[in-house]
Amino acid sequence: MKWNSRTRCAIVCLGFILLFSLFSFRLIYLQMIKHDEYAGLAAEKHVIKQPIFAERGTILDANNEVLAHNVPVETVVADASRLSEVDATIDLVSSELQLQRGEVTEKLRSDRRYIVLKREVAKANADSLRQKLRAKNLRGVYFEQDATRIYPNGIMLCHVIGFTDFEHKGIQGVEGSLDEYLRGQDGYRYIEHNRAGQEIVQYRGQERAPRNGYQIHLTVDLNLQNIVENEIDAAMREYSPKKATIILMRPQTGEILAMANRPAFDLNRRSDAKPEQMKNRAICDMMEPGSTFKIVTAAAALNEHKFSLDSYIFCENGMWNYGGTPLHDHAAFGDLSVKDILVKSSNIGAAKLAVTLGDQKFYEYIRRFGFGDRTGVELPGEIPGVIRSPQSWSKISITHIPMGHEIGVTPLQMATAMCAIANGGKLMTPRIVKSITTSDGKTISTLKPIALRQVISPQTANQIGMALRGVVSDRGTAAAAAVPGFVIAGKTGTAQKVGPHGGYEKGKEVVSFCGFLPAEDPQFVGLVVLDDAQTKPEQNYGGQVAGPIFSHIAEKAARYLDLEPHEEIRKAIPVERVALTSSSRH
Amino acid sequence: MSRSRRNWNEVNAASLARSIVLTGFLALTGLCYVYLTLQLYHLGDRKKALETEVTNLRMQNEVASAQITALTSRAALQRRLKEGYLKMIPIAEHNIVRLTIPNRNPEDAIQPVSNPRSAR
Repeated sequence: MKWNSRTRCAIVCLGFILLFSLFSFRLIYLQMIKHDEYAGLAAEKHVIKQPIFAERGTILDANNEVLAHNVPVETVVADASRLSEVDATIDLVSSELQLQRGEVTEKLRSDRRYIVLKREVAKANADSLRQKLRAKNLRGVYFEQDATRIYPNGIMLCHVIGFTDFEHKGIQGVEGSLDEYLRGQDGYRYIEHNRAGQEIVQYRGQERAPRNGYQIHLTVDLNLQNIVENEIDAAMREYSPKKATIILMRPQTGEILAMANRPAFDLNRRSDAKPEQMKNRAICDMMEPGSTFKIVTAAAALNEHKFSLDSYIFCENGMWNYGGTPLHDHAAFGDLSVKDILVKSSNIGAAKLAVTLGDQKFYEYIRRFGFGDRTGVELPGEIPGVIRSPQSWSKISITHIPMGHEIGVTPLQMATAMCAIANGGKLMTPRIVKSITTSDGKTISTLKPIALRQVISPQTANQIGMALRGVVSDRGTAAAAAVPGFVIAGKTGTAQKVGPHGGYEKGKEVVSFCGFLPAEDPQFVGLVVLDDAQTKPEQNYGGQVAGPIFSHIAEKAARYLDLEPHEEIRKAIPVERVALTSSSRH
Repeated sequence: MSRSRRNWNEVNAASLARSIVLTGFLALTGLCYVYLTLQLYHLGDRKKALETEVTNLRMQNEVASAQITALTSRAALQRRLKEGYLKMIPIAEHNIVRLTIPNRNPEDAIQPVSNPRSAR
């Protein structure tokens, strides 16, 4: 080969061809074969999916009064690797956010890139800190938008409303049970940012708007709730019981109009609350109902046509030996009508009604009234109570269960059963949620009353109602539950308290009163339960402790609901005439 | 003279004009592109600033609403009532219009009793 200029030129050209071919192949490899991979890596560096947070829905009462809502706050965070002047930042942050200097120093001296300095910082405080950081040209501290849940009424209705955790997840009450509706759905937006981390708005990618949480409208009327809360507080001051529960319900629909428990806690200071304060005892606690349960016994006996309201039963003069165990009445009753068994609250009379019915039939009625099953109210943590099947009853269970012993029921179950009596024998599912709407008022769902079953006939319910009117009369056990101008039907209950290790605790009683008003056209059913009220032993009875509390609530509630007093108001008999003998204590 | 004239490059006026127009057009297009891109950035910044402003206003509104709710809540009003800041006057009987029709049962034999202790 001749090494002339032509050859040299050809070699150089070949070199160039090879070089550019190499470049071309590399370019094809990068741009076509590896395109997706490198495009992804590039996008990862500059494109981020920015969440757009949905606003949690508010909770309102029946009159649209706000019970829970959101307030915008900010979370102050820091990136230790980007701090410009650490000492100056520590000084400013600790003084502005009112944090311990040592705590801030420890956090900012670390090498972490995401440090939460303080959550739930008010907007005004965050703005002030932001301005000062800017003025001193301090970098590395950032602000994240957030919201906090505020409960304007504090302690009121705390067990029903519940609360959220710091991640805005509902924990208790309606906040917990309806979290799915309240939470809403976060949106997102793909954004591209420049080297300084600022968004390049024109390169915004796919976007989805957030859907704010729905509003929950409760059946609770805050005016009635206020009446109940004031009375339960007064009862706590007067009797210092360990626990107390009051429920008001509308019998025709099962709507819960008010529900209060003690001990309670402030929803805005939930971190200070003890677990026993957070318990909604109306649905999570069970009790032996005592004599209030006699309504179930009498209703079953009348509905089965075993007796009429005026049938007489011999009550053994106060002591009946059944199954080798004596059963006592609080007074020596002879012959009592079925009506008077309720009015005088005779244990022996109630036991004889149940014995006539038989184990299986009586058990069927207990279950038909809803005992032993969860009521289905829209609140979390409800328990079914304890109703044993007749197979596991002892020989004397048939005489003890009719007077509300050997069973465990929740206060809500008891109130619901009384609602069935007041509602012509129809058992309704208790409800706390009235409707669910969007934030602009569009209805998503309206919850209609649910009739579970016809437990007893309307005639039987009417008969029981008539008998229960006698309980709140000068002849009955709850004269103190009366409200001037209104006829009230109700039943008292006094049950010895069951100890933590089984057996009854001497001198400790659970006293209750469950009634409805006006008896002829019930507008609400009320239940008052006090556990271990501190009063004189001879006064620690449902009629004397829970009865007057019911009276105060019913009187105020009747005024609020504008119920027309009974026309016989002028003929009202002063309660002083009612001799509160030992026979009228149960 | 004629020799030097023969060596001159002849300028095609039409071609030159075409080139100038094309170059000018390309330059103008480029400038327009740069201007519009800058405008796009500028509008993006304005959009972002307006979004921030709207967000801030919405937040201020929410804070104000929360304050109103807190101040008009039942608990707050009751506290004020207790402090004597507010006063409640009972509504006179003649000012009350009752719309509820009483449901009376003349056969009802049981008399209601009054309970003077109810006024705790």
